[in-house]
Amino acid sequence: MSGAEIMSNAESRAVENETVENKRIIQQVFDALAEGRTQAMLDHLAEDISFVVMGTGSWSRSYDGKAAVLAELFAPLRAKLAGQIILAPLRLIAEGDHVVVQAKGRNMTVDGKAYGNTYCNVIRLEGGLIREWIEYCDTLLIETTLGPPPAARAR
Amino acid sequence: MTAATNKQLMQDLLGRAAAGDRAPYLAAIADDVTMTVTGQYSWAQTFRGKAALLRDLYGHLATLLAEGRRTIPLRFIAENDVVVVEGKGEMRTKAGATYDNDYCLIYRLREGRIVEIREYCDSALTERVLGPFPAERKQPA
Repeated sequence: MSGAEIMSNAESRAVENETVENKRIIQQVFDALAEGRTQAMLDHLAEDISFVVMGTGSWSRSYDGKAAVLAELFAPLRAKLAGQIILAPLRLIAEGDHVVVQAKGRNMTVDGKAYGNTYCNVIRLEGGLIREWIEYCDTLLIETTLGPPPAARAR
Repeated sequence: MTAATNKQLMQDLLGRAAAGDRAPYLAAIADDVTMTVTGQYSWAQTFRGKAALLRDLYGHLATLLAEGRRTIPLRFIAENDVVVVEGKGEMRTKAGATYDNDYCLIYRLREGRIVEIREYCDSALTERVLGPFPAERKQPA
């Protein structure tokens, strides 16, 4: 076995270990979200996270930085929904620094409408923290059930 | 087949489709495929079997979209028999409207054939540009 092959195997094991650890972190985050507990997620958001709501809806854009994610995305969302926000994981797919989570929301709006969106989250981690979160979901359901975020309405 | 093999296969199939050769992708779809368009909008449903998928979903899209439509694959993430593909559509309707949707597609493979597809996309854009899915093509629940 050549030196290059030994290095390649060592690198391969490192990537496998990273994949397993990243998947464990995200499983833990979503197991908590399935019970309405958000602390594990908040603890794992990097300060320089980029959270992207994909598409052309009124909530669709990149929220850059943890402060912006909390103030401009999570806070307005919380104001729209009643009680704890429930997001249950259905399947996790992990490779290297990425973990993909298919998930189902089970929520109610403050005015009593069911809001059960379907999500595919593509999450990239660095050093055990979430640096990038790309959310694909039913953007039309957001518009018809939640309406635009307060800032968008004011514009 | 390993995750790496499945990933390579999907990179090859979708790369060729984006370059205009959709035949290998279509050939790789298993006869017993299930394709689910996720969500609660008019297009959201499960197509069971290749014949239903080609006739009712791809067939309907062909009536709406101009020749040369393509989806550019941007990222592949694979584990075991599942390959996740993020992609960007580059399409125009026959009426001339731009239709560039964002996709996350989850493929499950069995011995080199695609047996399950789940599509997540910008449903607001789909309804706005392509209109509602026609009732006569809707699949039984």
